[in-house]
Amino acid sequence: MTSVAATSSTFTFSAAAFQRLHPAEYFRKFVSQGVRPDGRLLSGFRPTTVHKSVVSTANGSSMVRVGGTTVVCGIKAEVAEPTLEAQDKGYIVPNVELSPMCSSAFKAGPPSEQAQVVSDAIDRILKDSDVVDLEQLCIEKGRAVWALWADVVCISYDGNILDAALLAVMTALTNVRLRKPTYDEGVVTVSGEALTEENSFSLTLTRTPLSTTFAIFDTPNNTLLADPNSAEENVSLGRITVTLDEKNQLCGVHKVGSGSCSPALIKSCIERAKERTQELRSLLA
Amino acid sequence: MARLDKSRTSSHQLRPFFTSQNLLNRADGSAQFDFGGTSVLCSVVGPAEVKIRDEKLDKATLEVLARPLVGVPGVKDKTIEQNIRETLEPLVLSGLHPRTLLQIVVQTMQDDGCVQSTAFNATMLALIDAGVPLNSILGSVTCMIDRKTNQVLLDPTREELAQAKSTHVFVFDNKAPPAQSKGDEDDVVMEDGDRVEGHVLFCESTGVFTEAEYFECYQVCYKGVQTVHGFLRTAVQKKFEKEHQQLQD
Repeated sequence: MTSVAATSSTFTFSAAAFQRLHPAEYFRKFVSQGVRPDGRLLSGFRPTTVHKSVVSTANGSSMVRVGGTTVVCGIKAEVAEPTLEAQDKGYIVPNVELSPMCSSAFKAGPPSEQAQVVSDAIDRILKDSDVVDLEQLCIEKGRAVWALWADVVCISYDGNILDAALLAVMTALTNVRLRKPTYDEGVVTVSGEALTEENSFSLTLTRTPLSTTFAIFDTPNNTLLADPNSAEENVSLGRITVTLDEKNQLCGVHKVGSGSCSPALIKSCIERAKERTQELRSLLA
Repeated sequence: MARLDKSRTSSHQLRPFFTSQNLLNRADGSAQFDFGGTSVLCSVVGPAEVKIRDEKLDKATLEVLARPLVGVPGVKDKTIEQNIRETLEPLVLSGLHPRTLLQIVVQTMQDDGCVQSTAFNATMLALIDAGVPLNSILGSVTCMIDRKTNQVLLDPTREELAQAKSTHVFVFDNKAPPAQSKGDEDDVVMEDGDRVEGHVLFCESTGVFTEAEYFECYQVCYKGVQTVHGFLRTAVQKKFEKEHQQLQD
């Protein structure tokens, strides 16, 4: 396809120009044929790869690629004071960074709204779905606990950041190794010697929720686009994110924007998310 | 089964509503909405001048600012802002006011659970009060599933939310199903034969729950929202009747 003729006149211009001028209309032409500009079917996901332990200085780390989106997650442990509400529990603080390095859509300065919202979404999944029993992170009740800083840095942004970031955080959490500290009269000692099976421990995860996002493209019967890239995010008005654990229990359903959706549409998203998370779990194992 | 909230006898009972519109002098529209002990005040300014960076050539720019009960706005408030903005964007006929700003400020006044739902309802009344053209009216309620009894509780208080296994915020509009709707095929039939119906505008469910529990909450909230819609209608009607009388006096 090299040129596209405008229907009501003889004026023609190239497909690339059409895409720049009328991105939504350009996209609609593809969707009406059941394909997407990048060659995927509407229900197709982008190739996904997961690498573990990519940052040697972190306690746990991972790198996840979902098509053109690349994120790196590093988890750093620090001895901290427990909060007043939970004296025998440590804490995990996820933070997602979307810097101008990963896409021109982001500006330098304080975290953008999107970065904050994704961080909050991961935080809520970790807390509300009870992913880690935080008592594992207790060193001495009321005195010292482990604080895990889970920093997710986006290297390359091409849409669907929540799925990639959550996958990265979950992978990094599974390979966290923490040294067994000793507590003696107000002093916590963490030895600096090499990690062995005896002097360190891993976290036990209650469950590992993974998410699947669908963009809702505005057609009369709400076309669903699995795993949207950034161009598709820009032309679609809404999205549905389904989060599932390994027993196929739901850990989150989030639908926002783009008019109303029937229960049947949400059910079909849940069904397709089940298949997708199964595939992702084989990458984690 | 008894609820923690002693003022209610049934698990599917909503708290008493209260609303008051046109409270603020300097805003173009404002409204307060209460669900029992939870209260949110919302103001709307617009169409107003928009920053060049945010200007959209073919429609109005929506800006939502959520303010918490105490302290400065944080990450949680950003999520509420994004949820409200993205839900309202398709609802507001923003093409009628291109290159302008519609600013919505949502201030929590009292928090006894379900702040997000209360904020949605307050925003809707404030938009009506400001005379912003809309293509439908939304209504919102929250429900939760109790950790011990697995019971679905509609419109939980803060005390009840502490016992929640999962919480679910739903928003439905008052439109008839879209024209392309396939009728019964759009519904989900539960194992016990119940039909789950109604087209959802926004939903946010967190915690751990099964598919059957999710659709049970969907159904309970859909029925709850019908009551909210009825109330919003009466509130708007009363307000216009009063204004009409004042004009005649």
